Amino acid sequence: MDTKDNEFLKRIQATFRIEAEEHIKSFSDGLIELEKTKTTESQSGMIETLFREVHSLKGAARSVGKKEIESVCQPLESLFSSLKRNEITMNPGLFDLFHKIGENLSRLVNSEGSQQTPVERQTLREMIQQLRQLTPEPITNGTQDVSKLQSEVKSVEAAPVEVKSLEVKGESPTNVAKAIEPAMDELPVSKPAFAEMVRISISKLDPLLQQAEEFLQTKIAFNQQTSELIQILRDVEEWKTETMKWRGRRSTASVIQWNEWQDKNEVRLNNLETHLVKVTRFMEKERFSLDRQVTDHLDAMKQVLMLPVSSLVEAFPGMVREISREQNKEIEFIILGSDLEIDKRILEELKDPLNHLIRNSIDHGIGTPRERELQHKLPRGKITMAFVAKENGLVEISVSDDGKGIDKEKVLKAALKTEAISPDAAEKLNEDEIFSLIYQSGVSTSAIITDLSGRGLGLPIVSEKVDKLNGKLTVETEKNFGTTFRILIPMSLAAFRGILVSLREFEFILPTMNVERVMRVTPEELKTVENHETICIGEDVISVVSLADVLGLPERRKETSRSSSAESQSSGNIRIVVLISGENRMAFKVDEVLDEHQVLVKGLGKLLKRVRNISGVTILGSGKIVPVLHISDLMKSAVRTAGRKKGTQDEGKASTKSRKILVAEDSITSRTLLKNILETAGYHVVTAVDGFDAFTRAKSEEFDLIVTDVDMPRLNGFELTIKIKNDKKLSEMPVVLVTSLESREDRERGIEAGADAYIIKSKFDQGNLLEVIKKLI
Amino acid sequence: MKTENRVLLKKRAVEMAKEPELKTEGSEYIGIIAFTLSEENYGIETDFVREVYHIKEFTALPGVPSYILGVINVRGKILEVIDLKKLFNLPEKGIGELNKVIILHNDQMEFGILADVVHGTQIVAVKDIRAVPYTVSGIGEEYLMGVTKERLIILSAENLLTDKSIIVNEEVI
Repeated sequence: MDTKDNEFLKRIQATFRIEAEEHIKSFSDGLIELEKTKTTESQSGMIETLFREVHSLKGAARSVGKKEIESVCQPLESLFSSLKRNEITMNPGLFDLFHKIGENLSRLVNSEGSQQTPVERQTLREMIQQLRQLTPEPITNGTQDVSKLQSEVKSVEAAPVEVKSLEVKGESPTNVAKAIEPAMDELPVSKPAFAEMVRISISKLDPLLQQAEEFLQTKIAFNQQTSELIQILRDVEEWKTETMKWRGRRSTASVIQWNEWQDKNEVRLNNLETHLVKVTRFMEKERFSLDRQVTDHLDAMKQVLMLPVSSLVEAFPGMVREISREQNKEIEFIILGSDLEIDKRILEELKDPLNHLIRNSIDHGIGTPRERELQHKLPRGKITMAFVAKENGLVEISVSDDGKGIDKEKVLKAALKTEAISPDAAEKLNEDEIFSLIYQSGVSTSAIITDLSGRGLGLPIVSEKVDKLNGKLTVETEKNFGTTFRILIPMSLAAFRGILVSLREFEFILPTMNVERVMRVTPEELKTVENHETICIGEDVISVVSLADVLGLPERRKETSRSSSAESQSSGNIRIVVLISGENRMAFKVDEVLDEHQVLVKGLGKLLKRVRNISGVTILGSGKIVPVLHISDLMKSAVRTAGRKKGTQDEGKASTKSRKILVAEDSITSRTLLKNILETAGYHVVTAVDGFDAFTRAKSEEFDLIVTDVDMPRLNGFELTIKIKNDKKLSEMPVVLVTSLESREDRERGIEAGADAYIIKSKFDQGNLLEVIKKLI
Repeated sequence: MKTENRVLLKKRAVEMAKEPELKTEGSEYIGIIAFTLSEENYGIETDFVREVYHIKEFTALPGVPSYILGVINVRGKILEVIDLKKLFNLPEKGIGELNKVIILHNDQMEFGILADVVHGTQIVAVKDIRAVPYTVSGIGEEYLMGVTKERLIILSAENLLTDKSIIVNEEVI
């Protein structure tokens, strides 16, 4: 095949991929819809739609020679036509099969066949087999079925489509089966990378084109004016040369000649003036129109970036379905206001937090049908996600469930356990303050850590993201009635403005949106309360810290000390910037407040993935790089700095080196792997070959934590956990179960046995394990 | 022009037009950029060098490990600069007039390393690179490829670029 054909094939396959994704998406959406629908009438309409999606996908696959996709669509389509004829009816098993097929099709579309593992190929074959068995047998004659179809199916338009598919099916079940297998082995190896794509409505693109054309006009006009200016400059230069000549003739020229020269100069000057006035007038006019054009263009571009919420939430129903299946829960998931448009960049930032909120609702909110019945609720739980436009360009997003509600006592207990608050402080908290503890990292009411939740990280992530978007997060909850999380954020991103401050020889940008006020105070206004400096602003007393101390800047060297600080010292005034982040408010001392800039924030490079207290950098007009400070980091650091000053010098330095971990695992490969991971992280590791060995070692040596496999000879992981938790001396030692058993029963057995964490090997990566261990010891 | 001059020039031209002797098996030789760090001579493979950039100013960042000198603006792009002297525990010399940054890159990573003086490129035969004498090795050993007869210490750009442990990823909790 020559390269041109190859190119074409590649392009057509890319197009196919996009189309196929759409069909599969509608197919999965349709299935979820179908599951919700109760009346037979609307059900048959939906089955019809699903049938068409499958049929179109099949056609598309065939046209680009994707035999393996076609081979799945074929029996799937037949099964749907049986469903249409009511020869069989939908049941939960079928839904599961269809969803599985949907997932596999999507995988097939996105990966080239040659990269399929034998296992995947096997699953595919099994699915095809299953589909065949489910289809009522046998259809030998296409025409016969058409007559049957025409009498039974209301929708006549679909009939011709049906004929075609039936004929194909009727003649070739074995042929297709034969065709599949070689097709799976012979696919090309190349796998082109795909860029992210966005769908934009034509109505948004038209103004963009118009504006671009307008720019063209302006460009032409400016070109003309530039030529004019060049001409003026030439005239002036010529005139200057002549004037220089006249200078030499000062003594020899006659009065008449001088007068002539003078007249000539006047004319020239007048000409020049007219010329310049013309150019200036024009420039002034164009400047305003250019201003307008740029603003319009920017607005239109922002409109292009506004995408409907549906593009964000489309993955959620599937996720809810999957998780609730896993946990044996029944959940109705409703999305409201999905046609609202929000800036793409904000939507992207929202994906994670909303994901966490939904998981949270399923995991902690909604109970199993039995639990719910005991509380006199419908067995089927309900989660609603609503997007509502509010005034001032804000949008409110709420995620509510009709579940158990947040247990105040449990939150308090968890917070005390992780030492997020002290017992004294806990007593003084009001209800809102207690609920705000759930946003703190590490606080979880879950009895056990699993892959899904319980690590107490979900809500802190939500809270941080919302902070970053300059939004507000609130929670309302009532025991046994449910919980609602509300996020209030702007729909579009404002240009980033920052205040430039100087500190010793450094300069930093503080995001203007976090700056409440900038002020000068006298030293007398700073009052010390419990060893902290504070200041009164209106009714409030807020703490004051030195930004340089919080950032840990080196002391300024004497010789570089500039006059500015000396000046501020001598005048006795202290410059203070009051920052706000979410609910927190804090005042920071700086040397100098220099300027406000509109800035473009750039990320640090690849080596500096995340630096504490810094969210990025910006390049000033002078080319100088200035770090942009991360306000919520800064507040946390400030609390730490203040705490350190009070006494404890090196709390964060409790090195992992001294920590000793016992690893119980019968497989030598897994054992070595675990040992390596933990030792690399700086832990001291002792290994045991089974549960019994581990228990003996634990009795004779002291360990900070034990990591154990479940399936082991002599004493398995559950039994070992129970023995440890019942041992007087060992009961405090955290137990982490690492297992290949991924089932709810096992997780529950783990909880019963008293394990502190449960990590599944298939999802196992070292980051996950280390993170859990770090949290436990 | 005199004939003898013409002959001489001709001879020179022929000499210069000659293709440089082909270093046959490619893997036997590597191109390196030689530079000085605190009086010691180092070399690093040219394959991983994007450019040598003259550093006029840099911005130090608070809260980063000491081996991160700071960030520089390379034609509008932000780039981190590593101070190998800190990584290798070499005596400090301070940033003088002649400071250059050697920009290293591969598919995943890109950063600059600070050099006191950059001497230029040269070709080194792989067989001439010996293991580092025991006494010299120590901190930074994992980044050393070896040392030549001329006591040029060859750094492994690849090991530097792929070392996950020098990546800063720190959040305030």
